Amino acid sequence: MRGFMDWLMDPKRRGPMLVTPAILLLFVMNIFPLMWSFGLSFFHYKASSMKPPRFAGLYYYEKVLTDPVVWERFQTTALIVSLSVLVQMIIGFALAILFSKKFPMRREILMLILTPMMLSFVAVGVFFKLFYEPTFGLISQAFMVFTGEPLALLATKWGAILGIVIADAWMWTPFVMLLVLAGLVSVPNYLYEAAEIDRASTWERFKTVTFPYVKGLLLLALLFRTIETFKLFDVVYIITAGGPGSSTETIAVYVYRMAFQFFKTSQSSALSYILLFVVIVLTNLYLYFVNRREQEA
Amino acid sequence: MKKHIKKGGVLALSAMMATILGTAAPASAKDIVIQMAAPDWSPTRFMQEYADKTYKAPSGNNVTLAIDFIPWPSFYERVAASMASGEKKYQLVVSDSQWIGTFIEGGQFMKLNKYIDADPELQKTLADVHPALTEAYATYPYKSDNIYGFPQMPDTKVAVYREDLFCNEMEQANFKAKYSKTLPCTYEDWETVDWETWGNIGEFFRRSPGDKLGSGTTNEDFYGVAYQAGKGYDFSSMQINAFIWQNGGGIWDESKQPEAQAEGVVNSAAAVKGLEEYLDLLKYAPPAAKTGQMDIFQIQELFMQGKIAAMVNWNAVAAAALDPKNSKVADKTAFALPPGTPGPDGTLVRWDNIGGQPFVLTTWNDDETVKESLDLVKWWLSPETQLEFAKKGSGNAAIKSVMEMPGYNDINPWNKAHVEVLPWQKDVWHIPEFFELLTQQQEEYDKAITGQISAQEALDNIAKFQQELLTEAGRIN
Repeated sequence: MRGFMDWLMDPKRRGPMLVTPAILLLFVMNIFPLMWSFGLSFFHYKASSMKPPRFAGLYYYEKVLTDPVVWERFQTTALIVSLSVLVQMIIGFALAILFSKKFPMRREILMLILTPMMLSFVAVGVFFKLFYEPTFGLISQAFMVFTGEPLALLATKWGAILGIVIADAWMWTPFVMLLVLAGLVSVPNYLYEAAEIDRASTWERFKTVTFPYVKGLLLLALLFRTIETFKLFDVVYIITAGGPGSSTETIAVYVYRMAFQFFKTSQSSALSYILLFVVIVLTNLYLYFVNRREQEA
Repeated sequence: MKKHIKKGGVLALSAMMATILGTAAPASAKDIVIQMAAPDWSPTRFMQEYADKTYKAPSGNNVTLAIDFIPWPSFYERVAASMASGEKKYQLVVSDSQWIGTFIEGGQFMKLNKYIDADPELQKTLADVHPALTEAYATYPYKSDNIYGFPQMPDTKVAVYREDLFCNEMEQANFKAKYSKTLPCTYEDWETVDWETWGNIGEFFRRSPGDKLGSGTTNEDFYGVAYQAGKGYDFSSMQINAFIWQNGGGIWDESKQPEAQAEGVVNSAAAVKGLEEYLDLLKYAPPAAKTGQMDIFQIQELFMQGKIAAMVNWNAVAAAALDPKNSKVADKTAFALPPGTPGPDGTLVRWDNIGGQPFVLTTWNDDETVKESLDLVKWWLSPETQLEFAKKGSGNAAIKSVMEMPGYNDINPWNKAHVEVLPWQKDVWHIPEFFELLTQQQEEYDKAITGQISAQEALDNIAKFQQELLTEAGRIN
């Protein structure tokens, strides 16, 4: 036993021994399920059935890729992602510029603005669902003060999309702001001083000094938020359940239904891997553009 | 399942006790725990408490019912995950009636006919269960003789209304003047209410801030009527089915597969008429109806906040309106029959979609566990337990002998209506494709509710989808 302990505590092995539990955990909790579900996507299998899987080849990939409902859900997702990320980038950037300046109670207000990002998705979903409720919801009540009519925001496709975009932006704009703010505060003061000596206008100072410093972080925020919004599930499921009709049903909600309500395990696995592929392609596209810009610079 | 056999000292002690007390304790009493998956709400909480207090297994074994209480919103996912994972954790499972096809075909729910055939006492129990409940909760294929489950919490929809408004003399006089009809005040008045009158009530009680309402004045928008119009789970389908059936339409009849067709039935003229009537009456509901989010909890909340005059809802949910801690209208709430549709002879047709849940046995139980579980079923469906369930568990009795007892209707204010509508209950599909059928139908109904498509378009789309799906699944020739 002592010999084994000495062997184990050998400084050469201490490092690998320390990371082994983490790697094992990662394998058991992440890598194995990933490989397993990938394997299942090539078999006929229903999780609700106790029957063993049967080989299906690429059948489910073909089925998913030729399913018009999947393409419709992709379009809905793309629409929500585009609008939501755009809103987050614009407001996040504006807030970052605001908070890069010093003003009274800056720190306290900053803390308040960061709070939504720390809440759970479910809490935010329920919060906004109640906000939008047309009979007693706060937004409808405020609307009634001016118009005398209740506001049923979630009654139309565009209203429901707006509702989701607002909720998602409320939660994640602070994240964009935080990243951009990190870039803004890192701009050396002497550059602004030099720009001032050159009598550069505010716009020129922004274009030539500020923007190049935050560009990388802005692209990073864009990348993170696009990937995250692409997977948007909780907020949509709680606020609209994909409605009215199916007009706000994102691809993530559709995967959930397929996997856990319809028990189409193989088909949902195939769709999940197609989603993963899309996200990887998107990530690489971003990285390609970032690298190209850096090379050009 | 935990099963412990205590030997030695315990055996000697029990034999000695049996001799001293003259009881018929078995030679070796076992500790048996029956694990049950159940939604976390009062009907199952009562079952646990009452079993802890009163249940003694006839076998002499120490049988414990251990309910795993799962919150409603994640109940299906948790049960489905357990069934799919093969963990074989539960001996009994509370299941929504529509899920049973999935888990019977999946091999997880146990067919019980051979046990019933061998047990006259169980046959007697089953014969006492209301036939509408056996049909919806126990049979697969639907309406066949194969028995899989027993009622845990039978539920139906009832009308719930504000007595202070409906019995107010001024409101009654104004309603009479406007519609030449009686504003229903008593249970007997509600027996004659049809959906047209329901619409009149909805229109009549729409008030704005500052308007008179009952003996006072409302300071907020007030709405007449509400019923389910929600995209989530099965909310709108459960109410729309009533309109379709009452108008003579139908849904795809699973009991007649493979001949039964979806196209031509689901979108028949009668079904379209039923859906149109349902959509038309929504204009009298609170604005949440326009968003397709008026689910059972939303209606309940609005009613308890005092914003609606009357609602149609499940009695299990509606019972909360009587709780003064949460309800502003606890002392004003009364229950009655839901509206119906006049039939050819003038009497009201009241077909509706049954709610509630059965509980079922799982296939991995050994014979002894099956026997103990079935004894537990007999205890749950015994007149004593069922009566206590109705009295203290806010539940509805499932057996006729209790429902027919004098005074049963007075135990809870909804009992009379529940008993009267039970024979009018039907159910939706029990087949494994249930969720796909439901989800697509809910989407189409939601489009109709939010004004994107007409009733005809919605039902045409549903019929086409169902025809294709059921044909692909081999359920339609």
